[in-house]
Amino acid sequence: MHPSKQAELLLGILIPPACREEVLGDLYERYRSPLRYAWDAICIVPLVILSRIRRTSDPLVVLTQSLALYTSFLCAARIASPKLLVEPWGLLRLAAPVFVTLAGIALDDAYAHPSRPSALGPIRAALTGIGLALWSQVLLWAGASEFSIPYATMAYGCALSLLLATGVRILFPPAGNQLRGVTAPAAWLQQSAAPLPAGLLRIAKGMAPFLTVLLTALLAYQVWKRAVP
Amino acid sequence: MAKPDSLGQFEQLVLTAILMLREDAYGVTIHSRVEELAQPKKISLGAIYVTLDRLEDKGLVASWLSDPTTARGGRAKRCYRLQALGERALHESAVTARRVWEGVAEAWGEDWAKEWGKGWGKEVG
Repeated sequence: MHPSKQAELLLGILIPPACREEVLGDLYERYRSPLRYAWDAICIVPLVILSRIRRTSDPLVVLTQSLALYTSFLCAARIASPKLLVEPWGLLRLAAPVFVTLAGIALDDAYAHPSRPSALGPIRAALTGIGLALWSQVLLWAGASEFSIPYATMAYGCALSLLLATGVRILFPPAGNQLRGVTAPAAWLQQSAAPLPAGLLRIAKGMAPFLTVLLTALLAYQVWKRAVP
Repeated sequence: MAKPDSLGQFEQLVLTAILMLREDAYGVTIHSRVEELAQPKKISLGAIYVTLDRLEDKGLVASWLSDPTTARGGRAKRCYRLQALGERALHESAVTARRVWEGVAEAWGEDWAKEWGKGWGKEVG
């Protein structure tokens, strides 16, 4: 008795490549009936994805990235539609594409193949995130336009986000994208692809969110000063 | 020498299972052994994967992929073994558990400890 090829194919798509081999093998070994297989998959796959996201995301880098993205959309709104900044819920509406982009980046990192680095390098995850954000806005423009942000703001915001998010990723490469080693501790693996020495990287990682908060606050103040007469 | 983090109860169970299984420690076997150790609790295989990932990140266990087998549809197993840091963390947990046991036995008396020990023997046997 073994699971159907179609079920395995579907699960293979859902399970991140870094742990696909062993999870599919374990599910095959535990196979008793199609129902039990489906139940196992429902219980296991979400936890495997979340665990992979936890392994590939560094909270400090995520914080830096979220602030950088929000700054991008604030700048875009200042340039393209300053009215949005003083509208009720305007600042919250600007946060929606930021959340979607961050989710896209996290998923892209989790689903990156550990032994096949992408030719697009650090720009790929940012492109995935921004692509998802654009799709979410298209859906909002079609269904609930009062929650969407204007086209021009979105275009400028996406361009700036792409630049800043890629910059952050070049400075702090995603953790855990390396092949899991036989004996090497994961902490060592996480530092191997960084462009800076380990000590300097730790200091930079600690300071980056504060600098980005400062930059965002400064920008928000400038925007507020010009928007409020 | 690096000091190991203190372990949670579930992490202790997973490390004990890996220690007991020796060369045969991989997802399915670790899950069945942890279920035996955690009786009567039911344990999800997903929770085992999450804990194994966390233990590997902490440097307490190491993993490698074995050769593919037909029993698994031509797929490999991810096998685990304890690192020196993991062994030390588990040892510290076992020493603490022993101290807890001695403290409880001292407070509730030797008769209780003997009675409880008998019940435990039955359960294990």
